[in-house]
Amino acid sequence: MPGVTVIDGRDLQPPEPLERALEALDLLADGDELVLLLYCQPQPLFKVLRTNGFAWQETVLDDGTHEIRIRKA
Amino acid sequence: MHPNMSFEQAPPISVPYRFFVTAPWFGVAAGLVLAGLGPDALISRWAPGALAATHLLVTGFMLQAMCGALLQFVPVAAGGNVWRPRILAGFVHPLLAVAATLLAAAFLNAAAALFVAAATIFAVTLGGYVIVVGLALRQTPAKGPTLMALRLALMGLAVTAALGVTLAWGLGNGRSLPLIEITMVHAAWGLGGWALMLVMGVSYFVVPMFQLTPSYPARVAWSLPLAMVAILVLWSWQLTGSVAGWQKAVLVAGILLAAVFAATTLVLQGRRRRKVTDPTLIFFRIAMVALLLAAASSVWFALDGDAGSDARAAIWLGMLVVPGVFVAVITGMLYKILPFLNWLHLQRLGGSGVLPPNMRDMIPESAMLGQLRLYAVALVALLAAVPLPVLTRPAGVLFAASCAWIGVNLAGGVRAYLRFRDKIPANLAAQKS
Repeated sequence: MPGVTVIDGRDLQPPEPLERALEALDLLADGDELVLLLYCQPQPLFKVLRTNGFAWQETVLDDGTHEIRIRKA
Repeated sequence: MHPNMSFEQAPPISVPYRFFVTAPWFGVAAGLVLAGLGPDALISRWAPGALAATHLLVTGFMLQAMCGALLQFVPVAAGGNVWRPRILAGFVHPLLAVAATLLAAAFLNAAAALFVAAATIFAVTLGGYVIVVGLALRQTPAKGPTLMALRLALMGLAVTAALGVTLAWGLGNGRSLPLIEITMVHAAWGLGGWALMLVMGVSYFVVPMFQLTPSYPARVAWSLPLAMVAILVLWSWQLTGSVAGWQKAVLVAGILLAAVFAATTLVLQGRRRRKVTDPTLIFFRIAMVALLLAAASSVWFALDGDAGSDARAAIWLGMLVVPGVFVAVITGMLYKILPFLNWLHLQRLGGSGVLPPNMRDMIPESAMLGQLRLYAVALVALLAAVPLPVLTRPAGVLFAASCAWIGVNLAGGVRAYLRFRDKIPANLAAQKS
């Protein structure tokens, strides 16, 4: 069964959310999903995702949270 | 929620860093001027030593740090493309340093030729800087109070520089100018229209982001910069030759606006989501408390004629505003921005393969806290030197030492960047093999 890892970066100081996301991406297995919750659009992370073969889907929730769901492409 | 960062447009790291590592040494020079001249430096705001030390701080420490930070901030936070930032920085950085040094020397020696040289270099350098950065701020599709404040701040820099160049040319050529009125307007635009405006615009962005506070209320964020410009325009009316009684009220209104910004920032910091206290937060709080004290002092000086007409009143306000507000807020921001930029650039260079070291390892927190304590002692000594001039020399030495420590800390941060950067190729090669 695919695993889901959630990182809530909303109360973390930059660049801690990105640090944690990069560590989690290293461990992400095929089919698993990483969910990142932030109050901003993480452009540096998007660049990493693009160049390392990850796909992602971004949804902006009502409270302004950006929910980014990441999988291996 | 803070605005989004477009880091892909970031300039080379050397662009802002050359300004950042230079700035503190002008603070050292300002402290040494006070230490060297002693009580004579603080007799009045018009004393050569006071003018030299002030301009070493505002056109050396502050202008270097703020011009460098804008070159980083405009592309990353406001999405504006600065034309050839490396060439611009290569031209602006050394010339600003030379002009600030010449201006201080001109004040100390009453040397006409040095005033003309400094004015000419400032006119060319800041003229070029304002045009290039102004175009970037005009063309960006971004919106919001941060962008508005940045645009107004650049306009404030242009007005300040134009008036400052006029004054210096006037002093150099012996022209008859209304020096006091121009100086009053020049100082107000420099401190309120340029420096505080830039601090406001940057704070709207970085305070919620780094200190995890709620956002500045939209009504406050939009209205403060616009009201500040309106006040400055009214204050500038004295250049027409008529000094009206209502101008004292305008000055108080302007400083009360600044106090609203300070109070709002302190309230937001009190409501931060994670109660982490770091050197940046403490520097910010010192700056905001100093701004509130300056506002309270201004109201007192406006209401109490005897106190307001004392030559030490302007020196007291100057100490609170320049070393108290701006040196603190800039130091706090540099301690956050430099490790953050180190981390982001190293992360970009290493990709996902080589993780950069923890941001906290870039400048040791103990070094930042040590410098903060020395700065606090220096600030108290500088303020005490206003009523007790005998303290001017030790206060100057303490302030110089505190600024030197900033310089050492920032240089250490840059060395940490270079050390980790040089390890990346070997780490990447080891991973491939």
